[in-house]
Amino acid sequence: MNLNSRLKTSALSLLSLISLSSLSGQVPSGPTIGLRDNTPRIHALVGADVVIAPGKVITNGIVILRNGLIEAAGSESDLALPKEARVWRLEGKTIYPGFIESYTQLGLPKNLRSQKAKTEERSFGEGPAPDQPKPRFEGGAEHWNPLVSPQRIAATSIKINQKETAAMRELGFATALVAPSRGVFRGQGSVVNLSGKSLNNSLLEESAVQHIAFELTPWLSGNYPTSLMGATALIRQTFYDTRWHTERKNQEGKERSEANAAYEALAPASEGRQTVLFAAEDELDYERIARIAHEFDLSYALLGNGHEYRKTEMLRQMEATVILPLNFPEAPPVGNPDRALEISLEALQHWESAPANPAALAQADIPICFTANFLKSPGKSFWKNVRQAVANGLTESQALAALTTHPSKLLGLGSKLGSIKAGKIANLVVAEGNLFQDKNSKILSLWIDGRPYPTKASETIDPRGTWALTWTGAAGPAEWKISGKPKDLKVKANEESFLAKIEAKTVLAFPPATLFGWEKGVVRVSSVLKDGNLSGIGTLPDGSVFFWTGERTAPHSGKKENNSQPLPQHPESRRQTYPAGAYGLAGKPEQPATILIRNTTIWTCGASGVLGKADMLVHKGKIERIGQDLAVPEGAVVIDAEGWHLTPGLIDAHSHTAIARRVNEASHAVTLEVRIGDALDSTDIGLYRELAGGLTTANLLHGSANPMGGQNQVIKLRWGEDAEGLKFQGAMPGVKFALGENVKQSNWGDHVVTRYPQTRMGVEQIMRDTFKAAQDYERTWQAYRANPEGPAPRRNLRLDAALEILNSERLVHIHSYRQDEILTFARLAKEMGFTMGTFQHVLEGYKVADEIAAIGAGGSTFSDWWAYKFEVYDAISYNGALMHENGVLTSFNSDDNELARRLNTEAAKAVKYGGVSEEEALKFVTLNAAKQLRINQWVGSLEPGKDADFVLWSDHPLSSYSRAEQTWIEGRKYFDRKQDARQQALVLKERQRLIQKALDERLKKKGKHESDDKDLDKEDEPPNLEPENNYENENGWHEKEYRSIYHNGESVETCTGHETI
Amino acid sequence: MKTGSSSRSNNRKIWQRGSLVLSLALSAISPLEANTNVPAPVQDHPILLKGGTIYPVSSVILEGAQILFQNGKISALGNRIKAPKNTEIIDISGKSVYPGLIGSNTLAGLVEIGAVRATRDFTESGEINPNSRAESAVNPDSEIFPVTRANGVLVINTVPSAGKKGLIAGTSALMKLDGWTWEEMVIKAPVGLHIKWPERISGGPTVFNRNMAYGSGTKDKEEAYEKALRRLRDSFANARAYLKVLENSPLQQDSDLRWEAMIPVLKREIPVFVHADRLEEIRRAVHWSEEEVVRLVIVGGQDAWRAADLLKEKSVAVIVSPVMALPLRRWEPYDTPFANPAKLHASGILFAIANAGGRSDAAHERNLPYQAAMAAAYGLPKEEALKAVTLNAAKILGVEDRLGSLEAGKDATLIVTDGDPLEIRTQVEMAFIDGRLIDLSSRHTRLYQKYQEKYRQLKKE
Repeated sequence: MNLNSRLKTSALSLLSLISLSSLSGQVPSGPTIGLRDNTPRIHALVGADVVIAPGKVITNGIVILRNGLIEAAGSESDLALPKEARVWRLEGKTIYPGFIESYTQLGLPKNLRSQKAKTEERSFGEGPAPDQPKPRFEGGAEHWNPLVSPQRIAATSIKINQKETAAMRELGFATALVAPSRGVFRGQGSVVNLSGKSLNNSLLEESAVQHIAFELTPWLSGNYPTSLMGATALIRQTFYDTRWHTERKNQEGKERSEANAAYEALAPASEGRQTVLFAAEDELDYERIARIAHEFDLSYALLGNGHEYRKTEMLRQMEATVILPLNFPEAPPVGNPDRALEISLEALQHWESAPANPAALAQADIPICFTANFLKSPGKSFWKNVRQAVANGLTESQALAALTTHPSKLLGLGSKLGSIKAGKIANLVVAEGNLFQDKNSKILSLWIDGRPYPTKASETIDPRGTWALTWTGAAGPAEWKISGKPKDLKVKANEESFLAKIEAKTVLAFPPATLFGWEKGVVRVSSVLKDGNLSGIGTLPDGSVFFWTGERTAPHSGKKENNSQPLPQHPESRRQTYPAGAYGLAGKPEQPATILIRNTTIWTCGASGVLGKADMLVHKGKIERIGQDLAVPEGAVVIDAEGWHLTPGLIDAHSHTAIARRVNEASHAVTLEVRIGDALDSTDIGLYRELAGGLTTANLLHGSANPMGGQNQVIKLRWGEDAEGLKFQGAMPGVKFALGENVKQSNWGDHVVTRYPQTRMGVEQIMRDTFKAAQDYERTWQAYRANPEGPAPRRNLRLDAALEILNSERLVHIHSYRQDEILTFARLAKEMGFTMGTFQHVLEGYKVADEIAAIGAGGSTFSDWWAYKFEVYDAISYNGALMHENGVLTSFNSDDNELARRLNTEAAKAVKYGGVSEEEALKFVTLNAAKQLRINQWVGSLEPGKDADFVLWSDHPLSSYSRAEQTWIEGRKYFDRKQDARQQALVLKERQRLIQKALDERLKKKGKHESDDKDLDKEDEPPNLEPENNYENENGWHEKEYRSIYHNGESVETCTGHETI
Repeated sequence: MKTGSSSRSNNRKIWQRGSLVLSLALSAISPLEANTNVPAPVQDHPILLKGGTIYPVSSVILEGAQILFQNGKISALGNRIKAPKNTEIIDISGKSVYPGLIGSNTLAGLVEIGAVRATRDFTESGEINPNSRAESAVNPDSEIFPVTRANGVLVINTVPSAGKKGLIAGTSALMKLDGWTWEEMVIKAPVGLHIKWPERISGGPTVFNRNMAYGSGTKDKEEAYEKALRRLRDSFANARAYLKVLENSPLQQDSDLRWEAMIPVLKREIPVFVHADRLEEIRRAVHWSEEEVVRLVIVGGQDAWRAADLLKEKSVAVIVSPVMALPLRRWEPYDTPFANPAKLHASGILFAIANAGGRSDAAHERNLPYQAAMAAAYGLPKEEALKAVTLNAAKILGVEDRLGSLEAGKDATLIVTDGDPLEIRTQVEMAFIDGRLIDLSSRHTRLYQKYQEKYRQLKKE
């Protein structure tokens, strides 16, 4: 799909709409109350440099505006000045097209504003866990989910606020996209001119874009979705429903379909006719958004987050416009040595790199737009940050395009806005000095719809400079020089110094009377400053009054403010690694064509058993041979591993590592449609730490908050890759189910008692009902396929997954403890006739091992955990051995980021408790887990033809003294203890470099504001980011499960401290 | 009872992986059929273990040696010991003898099932609870104890914990894992006063969002932190004032249980155990202990290695709890917690190694030796790892005269194994507490036997 062309078509179709309707707002239809206002609106702006479009400047140009539109723009020599025009002399000034704010919440009520507004400068990362979305009041035939309101139109909720519009004009914004900012489908953004006039006058486009975001509900709210994967599933299902609704609507002779304003409103977006603006909370969201956009062939753009430079290649391929919040972090507070420890390398690096973010995107030809929406004080920082971006490599044209041509195109208003061209809306910015470089430049006025709006900045008085003075009624000095700060002016005349100040736009000065020929006393003079002239009044010590004027003969020449203050520069030399921060990789580890590992003890976990003094030959990522005294092929990388042990890469059949923004879709009891694969967090440091423990493959499971949870994702721990790169291609799809205390909400707090089911009886029934529903669903489809007339049945992603289970295309991994529930489910599985994956945890599996074996299910258990909750009081460490002995394919898993680093010694517990042989015990964390996940044709044992996923151990792999020395995946070395030691040293060095640099910047800043320490301290204080609803009960279920990327890698603990529900 | 008789033979199978014949041992525990473990009777005759390798911890390894204990105390070790006539001689050739392992930071005894509130007795309400005594609420019939001791952990320090906002949790008690009542189990109480140092970093090591990446808490958090420290200082000042009145004019003073309980700390009779992980907390605790003139032990100590110079200079001991942990910070080396003990050792700091001491760790106290092994895998000499769960723990807990090593005069609290107890595959074959042979069966072995029987029956069908 060519997204660009899609964008273009959608832009065109929108344009045609606009020319018909929106612009007519300029011609009022209501009756005139009082006298008519027919002030001429013919203006000629003369003498300025006119930047008609990025990179195109007319020096000494003329712009002619007539009745709200641009009539012409050209050079003074080419263009005749209309005689009837009012002339504005703007020599030395610059005229730009009116700037467009690409994302704002201007005039929206609180419940439509971003919950992140309170975190504002999102400089140090993303937002807090979500708070409860406000109930909507859209009315009409709403979508069942309150977070789905695509029918909402921003314009219907806007209340124009003069203060807000004026503040935005100060920044040069003549037009803005007003974006509803709550919900998943948030509604349609409207484009308004920032004249502050009524919407009848200022609304340009009601439905410019559809806003979508991965917004979640709080844990325990009961509302869907609580998780990123849930939000993704909701988006997906809603688009399917929209299509279905559209298709069905056009069918005659059928019962009418449900009235639903959401689907009606979403149709243009779902058909690619309306641009979808997706909010990307972090750098991993781009990929997630691209996946959805491609699935539904959407025309889309991104609301970015400031970390785009880490994914430029991906963004380039996406060909989507990105709106950038210029949220560059302050230098991290590294001054306190205790606290500096807590600042991650990633955060330090981001501080250094963020200002180069816009340049990185522009250089990759990714269209960017700017927004000031996410800045704490846009007035102070927006233009400062634009200039910082320019200092870091963005060209002025690129910066200007981000404020003009790119947003106008994004909003489908390219023919109306974005450049100074005949026929376009007369929106202009008049500035003094170079906005993109000069700190002292300022915006003097805006023209919106051909009307002038002077800015406050244009009214600021700066009397500094040298003045020639004329006195009437007194004999004062002929000249004075005014310097100092505007608040605290200093005047020098005839070697005398005295104070002056500005009060109510009046300059007040207090020269000593000696300057006026008196012996003592103070003279008071005041004056106004107008068009570069001072004129005023004064009083001598005896009370006699005089008059005076002054003419500026030289500008202020005092110490020039250091404009070239070293802005943080992106160091070209720094090696780009991913994930950012510590231990990232510069690229895939190399894959030597041939590797020979020699003279080592090989635990094949296959038919060959354990081989002493053996060799393993790897070719192009696959195991080629295992044996003794293998010949060394030419060019082979030879590893002499004498004294070490070689085993297959370990496999964790139950992990929650690398899952972003909650592992539970904890709202509905059945959420089969949610997919862990939609929410992978490839930046999770747990991946690297687990590699260092010999782990190469993991089964990432949904939590156990509901009986029928979400779809799992088997991954390989390919650290450094993106989400797609982690996925284990070919692994059989699976799903997480759960039984017992967690799903019946026993430990959710005493007040959580309403969701069905609340008993083990109900658990079985809701599962049965879901399977029955899937069977009914299947029948409907079969009937349709047999006679495909009329609309197809509605596609139901939840039941699709249920059906896949029934068809044995999707393995069930079921969290379970007690023997009764295990047996009950085994019976249900048998009755429904589907293939089982595993019983997970299955701590009473030893009591019904025969029944588990009988349905061909595996048992994936903890080696020795017990007593953390009531249903595991009968858990015993002999569980693994007993299940194994009685025919259950058994594995040990971690369910924990810490334990996942030492599964080899977990296996040793099967030897200790129950006497499983060492060889078989090792299979509990290798081959058996592979078989359970149906990936044993590639991994799980060291046998010719399988993937070269292996670990070299310093000692016997079951020894508690053993260390993983090297971990390889597909013949690539992902962990090496020696390399790690070097990495550790690099991390320290890089931290120190950045800390020194940050210190430098902070100390300088401190020096600059010597008198203003308080302000600086205030900046240190981060915004209050505690979630408003920090749900927590005595069992500790709370928001910890919600975490943004680049966390510290802790386990997502919930009620047991061990086991993620 | 059918189950019972089969249980006995199975039982033998379980803990007799080696060639050791334990008929003697079995006869010493007569009512094995009972569903709960019966405490062993007082040692009424001398016992000599012969032919094994003895690891005294405090001195060189003795191969093929003998150890004699009577009346609950070790009387001799060596290659030729003269045993009294009524000595029971047990041949343990090929086996090894170690001191019983000591778990120095656990909730075991104060919690049975973490998620069941009714079984939780480790956190009293309020911030200041110096008068909470762990031993008073230890359930001697906890199913956790037999499971724990079966792996050689014979002595535990049961530690009350402070709640979310708590500061002073109470006093800990050193318990041997056998006895009819908690009183019989107590070796020493109080061991120390436990304080949770307030955390300045919001959310501790488990910060949940990136905005905390810069590590500073909110202003409220800062204030709460300073307030907690003031509260702590006030408590010590109040206790000191209380002591002063008691010493000078006791008749004027009505009793206050809280300050009463802190007197042994103020008199430096017992140490303060400050639970702290981060450098800032550790550092401030050290300076605070100097101001208060109290003896200090750091518990937790994830960052202790960063403060090694200070801890060494001030002779502060550390209970590393645990070793098997994730690094506190994303950028830290993956093996930071594993390598912590080796660094403390290199700095000459007295330290013990313990489990994590959390709610769900209590039931897994038996895995204590593997915490030590992990430290050994990452640089700590093996003998030091063993010391960290035996003699060093005894020293820090103030019982080195009785426990922690095999020396004449010390308690006969020891284990017989078929190998290195820090290796998971090693089996603990016998355990003695005060010279009493301990029943190594547990809820786990009993359920194991019961369900082995199920499959035997199935196979017969």
